[in-house]
Amino acid sequence: MNFDAFEQCLQRQPSRTIPSEWRAEMLSAAKAASTAAHAPHLNPEHRRDARRFQHGRSLLSTFNSQLSTLLWPSPAAWAGLAAIWVVILVVNSTSGGGTKELARKITPPAPEAIAAWKEQERLLTELIGRPEAPAADRPKPVAPRPRSERQNGFSLA
Amino acid sequence: MPAPIDLERLYDEHAQALFAFLLHFTRNEADTRDLLQELFVKLAQSPGLLEKAREPRAFLLRMSHNLAIDLIRRRGTRQRNYEQLAEEIVTVFAPTPDADERAFRDALSSALDELVPEQRAVVHLKLWEKLTFEQIAELLDIPPNTAASRYRYALDKLRQRLRPLYDEIK
Repeated sequence: MNFDAFEQCLQRQPSRTIPSEWRAEMLSAAKAASTAAHAPHLNPEHRRDARRFQHGRSLLSTFNSQLSTLLWPSPAAWAGLAAIWVVILVVNSTSGGGTKELARKITPPAPEAIAAWKEQERLLTELIGRPEAPAADRPKPVAPRPRSERQNGFSLA
Repeated sequence: MPAPIDLERLYDEHAQALFAFLLHFTRNEADTRDLLQELFVKLAQSPGLLEKAREPRAFLLRMSHNLAIDLIRRRGTRQRNYEQLAEEIVTVFAPTPDADERAFRDALSSALDELVPEQRAVVHLKLWEKLTFEQIAELLDIPPNTAASRYRYALDKLRQRLRPLYDEIK
């Protein structure tokens, strides 16, 4: 295909040159990666560890990517929600710890104190007599008999 | 085990072309840098990759294109926001002291920016790499007719957009 004048004009526009400092950076990074990739060939255990590390890293990066895709539409709202949860957890852990500490500090009463208290209760009972039986134990008042029985009484009289 | 790869030679022979292609495709210098680095790391880790390639340049351009596509897919839903951020004018052409030439290059850069990345890729490979439509099709994994139609459509848009400036500098 022959280029027309317009295409030739576009072709004459040269692209920017690649920054010269990139060469050293990229080649050293590539060489470092090459060394890391080929060194473990000597030791299969190292290779297995590297593979496990790579697998873990890829899982982590996938999770990270999914998470960032999910959170991207409103990062401020999610960050706020996360901050609120952190505050709740901190407050909860602080106050929960205090309660447990307080409960640990309270000691049960000594057996002597319990015995003294029971003795006092016994003396009081002797002085004022037994307390009234609860209402549930009292006999129920007798209900009036049916009228039919009274009628029988009249008739007998 | 494959023979060690001569990374310095590869860089000196192809990095400029890969840089220009990636910069045209991504319109983002930081992404271009990351992708180029990723490519050289891959080559260093797997030296056998280039052994089967008939044309190393075409093979490297294809790798660059695939890496750029992967990057766009990884970004997924964030891509729209990314494109909005990348709207700043990226200098893809060499600076020039001539005011008319500079104006034309800026306008060309903006006009290329309006094309979709796949059209830009075809235009770049056709105009600046001087590949045939068959080679472009093989490189981008598309039918040759698609490559040709993308090129014609993109060129019509560029022509329309740049006509006034082009008439001036002609």
